[in-house]
Amino acid sequence: MVAKRDLRDAVSELRLIAAMVALTLAIPLASGTGVRALAAFGGGTAVVNRLSLVGAFFVVFIPASFSLVLALESFVGERERTTLEVLLSTPLREAEIYAGKVAAVLAVSLTLCYGGLLVYCFVTFPGLGYFPLAILLALALSTICQVAAMVAGAVIVSLNARTMRAANVMASFIILPMSVVLQVEAALILVGRAEFLWAFALMMAVVALILLRMGFNGFSREALLARDVGLRRPWRRANAALRASFNQRPGLFRLVWMRRVPLLIAAAGFPLGALAGYLAGLTNLIPANVVRPVLSTLVRSTGGGGAIDEALLIFSHNVLAFLLVAGLAVVSAGLSGFLLTFAPGFILGFAAALSSWAFALSGIVPNGFVEIPAAIIAGGLAIQIGAAAIHMDARGGWAARVLEAAADYVRALRWLVPALAVASVLEVFLG
Amino acid sequence: MLEVEGLAKRYGDVLALRDLTVKVDQGECLVLLGRNGAGKTTALRCMAGVLLPSAGMVRVDGIDAADDPAGVRALVGLMPEVPGLYERMSARSYLDHFGAIYDLSPELRGRRIEDLLELFELSDAGDRWLGTYSKGMRQKVALIRATLHHPRLVLADEPTSALDPDSARRAWIYLKDLQKEGCALVICTHSMEEAEHLAGDIGIMSNGRALAVGNVVELRRRSGLKTRQEVRELPTLQDIYLAIVDNQRMDQRELAETRTA
Ligand SMILES: Nc1ncnc2c1ncn2[C@@H]1O[C@H](COP(=O)(O)OP(=O)(O)OP(=O)(O)O)[C@@H](O)[C@H]1O
Ligand SMILES: [Mg+2]
Repeated sequence: MVAKRDLRDAVSELRLIAAMVALTLAIPLASGTGVRALAAFGGGTAVVNRLSLVGAFFVVFIPASFSLVLALESFVGERERTTLEVLLSTPLREAEIYAGKVAAVLAVSLTLCYGGLLVYCFVTFPGLGYFPLAILLALALSTICQVAAMVAGAVIVSLNARTMRAANVMASFIILPMSVVLQVEAALILVGRAEFLWAFALMMAVVALILLRMGFNGFSREALLARDVGLRRPWRRANAALRASFNQRPGLFRLVWMRRVPLLIAAAGFPLGALAGYLAGLTNLIPANVVRPVLSTLVRSTGGGGAIDEALLIFSHNVLAFLLVAGLAVVSAGLSGFLLTFAPGFILGFAAALSSWAFALSGIVPNGFVEIPAAIIAGGLAIQIGAAAIHMDARGGWAARVLEAAADYVRALRWLVPALAVASVLEVFLG
Repeated sequence: MLEVEGLAKRYGDVLALRDLTVKVDQGECLVLLGRNGAGKTTALRCMAGVLLPSAGMVRVDGIDAADDPAGVRALVGLMPEVPGLYERMSARSYLDHFGAIYDLSPELRGRRIEDLLELFELSDAGDRWLGTYSKGMRQKVALIRATLHHPRLVLADEPTSALDPDSARRAWIYLKDLQKEGCALVICTHSMEEAEHLAGDIGIMSNGRALAVGNVVELRRRSGLKTRQEVRELPTLQDIYLAIVDNQRMDQRELAETRTA
């Protein structure tokens, strides 16, 4: 019902609709004829075929961007027009309101996407002698997932923003990752392999699900109507929050016990990585020359420079990796923490497949005895950061939880960095 | 019907309600008075199951708002401070939309919407977009929306603050009728006239708690004010206004009758 009203509201703005429909028609028509013209005036078939795909991508993407605006508007818009309280005072359950809002936005933008794509296909492909059905289907599917991810993200912004203007500013958190994603997608389309696009669609679907779940968990009447606005002295508040997150955190050993689940996940990453690497090495899935340079650092053919230099290099390299992992954990839902143990495991397994386990293991002894536990702890804490980042709660406190997890990580670094130093010394002088 | 005990509500650092205890039975009306920021609106939101109490208990028809807020919301009709209408919808479709949300059958809600629009003199404007409505017209639509589904408990926040005296009187009569049908009312207002018209019990709020609750007689005794003899020789401005408005309506009706004749 909420969806129905929202749809009617969107449709009732005639000028807006006219503009959207015009764009979704004009762009496919223009790019379709462009491609055809190129074909007619003797562009090479390979070029035309590639271009026809890029055109399709372009056509689908434009209406998808409308969904961002509509979704951003969904809750802040009602708040600004003061209709929110009425909506919230109805017996509708939270899930119904949330789903209604998301569904309305998705319906509008997907209609435009597919309408545009159909028009484009009708204009471009007849008589071209080339119809990449598999890719177009994959494109259509990945569009749904992508739009869903974008809408879910925008709804989260819309739930948390107080004003439309704030929502628009915060939208850059969605636009930036999205532009990266779009470039990846464009590259995949140029490669022209449907299975890559399927994988891409799957990934976007996972992202969309995570974001939708986040938005739903963070959705409550309480949060929308009563959360304290708290714009007074933002710096002092931020500072206090930061200090609070550092105060009264447990010491390293209690922390390890408290976070045993993410630590176990991180610990599992190492053997899993080794297994995957071993299998990959056996089946020649990855061309060996890609992995070889990485392997060589593991096996360490000693180059020039003194031992001290080398130890410093390894040390700084590892510290950098640890810092990077924590930063990435926030945006990758903790995946980077898992990779921290998975990736070395993979390389180890791969090396073992190419030579033997004994040889590969000799490469990580004795420094591995220090490095691997350190990586497990860091990885586990990074996973915790990621878990905090994708967990939204109706009672709020997202920022506090993420800060807490990050503070744990920083505090753990006091132990982990010296450990890495010891490991690098061990590696250079005993390895 | 409505029982509120020790209700407290905190917004961040602000303690909007401290300790509110009131009780409204079926067919009764409680009027909440109090200064700006006393916590009246907050109290209504908690009673409506929109906000969860920070402490204390709200029970509507035996349902605890903390356990089953959706159940409470289904029994209640909340008319918020601001009408909060969707600008690009006609009054009829707006009311119909909310009737559907409250699970009224299409015929039933169609009939009721027409009756209420008629009562509040909005029949002619009923198909115009709500964005074109005047402030008072909006408030009428909001009142109709809040009472469309025959709620067991009507919570109205300054329901007549934008209405002309004639319409306000009509709204009071309408609310009284609801009350006779067995509906309980809680009204927040700054208008003493409204309070006198509607009130069974009056609650005077300050700083998030009720200073005094009781009917006018009890409150008068509590206030310790002596009886005041008031002699009115001239009609008040309000009487004059109402008389003229009534005359004019009579003229119009006559005009219409002569036209049809
Ligand atoms: N969303 C909110 N966030 C923080 N504080 C709020 C919020 N809403 C209300 N308050 C505070 O709660 C207190 C009570 O507000 P409330 O709106 O209930 O007063 P009121 O009695 O309805 O006043 P009025 O007569 O002006 O309508 C006020 O101090 C107000 O500043
Ligand atoms: Mg108020």
